[in-house]
Amino acid sequence: MSNVVLKGVEKVYPNGFKAVHGIDLEIEDGEFMVLVGPSGCAKSTTLRMVAGLEDISGGTISIDDKVVNDIPPKDRGIAMVFQNYALYPHMTVYENMGFSLKMKKTPKNIIDGKVRGAAKILDIEDLLDRKPKELSGGQRQRVAVGRAIVRDPKVFLFDEPLSNLDAKLRVHMRVQLSQLHQRLKSTMIYVTHDQVEAMTMGDRICVMNLGKIMQVDTPLNIYQYPANKFVAGFIGSPPMNFMEGEIIATNNNIKIKIKIKEVELKLPLDKAKNLKDHIGKKVWFGIRAEDIIIGNSDGENTMKGKVKVIEFMGSEAFVYSQMEDEEFISKVDFLEAKDLKNGSECFFSINMDKCHIFDYDSEKNISLGLKIKGEFDV
Amino acid sequence: MEGKKKSKRGTLILTIFLAIIFLLPFYIVLTNSFKTQKGIFLNVTGLPFGKFFTLENYVNAFKELDFVHSFFNSLLITIVSTVLIVIFSSMAAWMLVRTKSKLSSFLYFLFAAAMLIPFQSVMLPLINLMGRIGFLNRGGLIFMYVGFGASLSIMLYHGFIKSIPVELEEAATIDGCNKFQIFWYIIFPMLKPITVTVSILNAMWIWNDFLLPQLVINRPESHTIPLKMFYFFGQHSKQWHLALAGLVIGMIPIIIFYILAQKHIIKGVTKGSIK
Repeated sequence: MSNVVLKGVEKVYPNGFKAVHGIDLEIEDGEFMVLVGPSGCAKSTTLRMVAGLEDISGGTISIDDKVVNDIPPKDRGIAMVFQNYALYPHMTVYENMGFSLKMKKTPKNIIDGKVRGAAKILDIEDLLDRKPKELSGGQRQRVAVGRAIVRDPKVFLFDEPLSNLDAKLRVHMRVQLSQLHQRLKSTMIYVTHDQVEAMTMGDRICVMNLGKIMQVDTPLNIYQYPANKFVAGFIGSPPMNFMEGEIIATNNNIKIKIKIKEVELKLPLDKAKNLKDHIGKKVWFGIRAEDIIIGNSDGENTMKGKVKVIEFMGSEAFVYSQMEDEEFISKVDFLEAKDLKNGSECFFSINMDKCHIFDYDSEKNISLGLKIKGEFDV
Repeated sequence: MEGKKKSKRGTLILTIFLAIIFLLPFYIVLTNSFKTQKGIFLNVTGLPFGKFFTLENYVNAFKELDFVHSFFNSLLITIVSTVLIVIFSSMAAWMLVRTKSKLSSFLYFLFAAAMLIPFQSVMLPLINLMGRIGFLNRGGLIFMYVGFGASLSIMLYHGFIKSIPVELEEAATIDGCNKFQIFWYIIFPMLKPITVTVSILNAMWIWNDFLLPQLVINRPESHTIPLKMFYFFGQHSKQWHLALAGLVIGMIPIIIFYILAQKHIIKGVTKGSIK
C-alpha cells in the first residue's frame, strides 16, 4: 500500500500569507492523481509539501499510512521529477541516475543493475555516458524520470515535467508517462497547469484554485459535472460560455426558464426540479461550446448572434459570436462553419440538456442535483 | 567599405601600440637580466650581445635569493591561502545566496563594502593587533590573506551561484544528501570555472605581494620571493642585473600557472558576469 493522505494541510508563509487552506485529499495506492489549476493556486506547494521540500504549517501528510510531517525527504520513499529536470550538469547520465543509490552506499553491482534496468525501460541505454548538456529536451526528461525510477519509490512526484518541451514532444512524453504508470503501477502525483495533460493522464483530477481544492473526480465527471463555475471554466477547451441570467417561472406552472437579456431558454425537467428554490434569483448560465449548434430559424432555445471571428482548427471551427454585449464561443463542424462570414447574423440553438446553472454568489453548480464526488469549497 | 577598412586598420594600429606599451616592461626586464650591470647602464633598451651578455646574473640571483627556500615559502603561502579562500568564499557565498534574510543581505553588503577600504588605511592597526595575539608569522599571513581575499571572491561566487537553479539542491536533498554533501557533490563541482578565476586572481596577487609579508614576516627563513628581492636594493647601491634576473625567476612559476589556467579564466569571467 502506497497511498497518500492529506488531512487539513495548511501552508502559511512567514509573512502571514496563507498559500494552502487546510486541504483534504486521499490518493489511493497505484493511482495517477493530477493536481491542476492556474498559476499561484498552490498545486506545486502542495506537491513540495508531500516531498518534504516545504514545511507544513498545519495538518498531516501520510504516505503508506505513516505520518511523514517530520520525516526528511530522503526517507519518505518518494522520487521527484522537476520542471527543469534538475539533472546534475557535471555528472553523466549514468552518474545522475545512480547518485541517490550511491548516497545510500548501495553496492556498485546493484547500482549498475538498477540504472541499466531503468535505462532500458526508458530507451536511453545509449545515452548513459553523455552529460546532460549533450541531450535534447526529451532525452533530459527521460533521464529525469529514469533517476526517479532507480530510487524505486513508493510515490512518484511530477512537478510540471512537460512544460519545457515543445508541443509535439509533450504529446509523445505524455503517452510515455501514461505507459510508464501502467507498467510500474506506482502511485503518482502529477502537477500541471495544462488541462489537456490533466484530462488525458489522470485516473483522477484534483482541481485547485487559491490554495483550495475545487473538485476531485475522474476526468470525465469533472468535465460533465463541474462542481462550480471555476471548474467549469477551467476544464475544457475552448472554455465554457458563461452568461448572467435569472431563473423565472412562467404561467404559474412548473416550467422554469432562464432569462438572458431578452432571450428565454427552457430548462429540461430534471434541471428545473433542482432549481425550484432559485426562482427569481440571479444565476450564471454555463454552456460548453460544443453544445451550441448553428441553426436556421428562431425556434425554442435559440438565440440570435452576430459572428465576429471564425477560427478554423481543421475538422472543426470555433465561432466567436456576440449577442448584445454577451460574447460566446461555439464549436462547430468545419462544413457548417465554412459558409459563415464575419459580421453575418445567425441563430444558435442551445442544447439545454447539457447546460449548467451556477449560483450567482457562491458559484456552486445548482443544476446537477446529484451528489458531486470529492470535496470542494468555494 | 572603405570606411570599414580604415577603422579596422586604425584598431589594429592602436592594438599594436597598446601591446608594445604593455610588453615593454617585460622586454626591459628580460633583456637586461642577461646583461652585466655595466651593460645595463650603458644601454637599457638594447639587446644583450657581446661582452655585456652574461648568464651569471641568474646563478647569482638564484644563490642570493636562497631561491629554494623562498620559492617554498611563496608556494606554501600562495597555495594554502588560495585553497582556503576558495573553500571559505564559495561556502559563504552559497549560504548568502540561499539564505534570504536581512542579515544575509547585510553581510553581503559588508563583504562588498570591505573592497572599498584601502589596505594602507588598516595595515598599521591590523599589524598591531596581530602582533599582540602572536600572529606575525606565516600562519598569520595566510589568515590575513584569507580575510583580504574573501570580499572579491565572495562577490564573484555570489554572482555565479545565483544562476544555479535551487531545484538541483532540492533534487540532491531527495537523493539523500545533507547540506555538506550538497555543497561538496553538487555545488562545488559546478563552480569550477569561477573557482579557476578566483584561484588565478588570488594566487597572482598573493605570489607577487610585497607589503603585507614585509609587515608580517620577520624571520628571514620565512621570507617569500618578493621579500628576498628587496635585498638587491641597498641603501647605497642597486644591483639591477641581479634584481632583474631574480624577477624573471620569480615570475616564471606564476606565468606557467596563468598560461595553464588562462583558458578557464576567460570562461570563468564570462560565466560569472553573463549567467
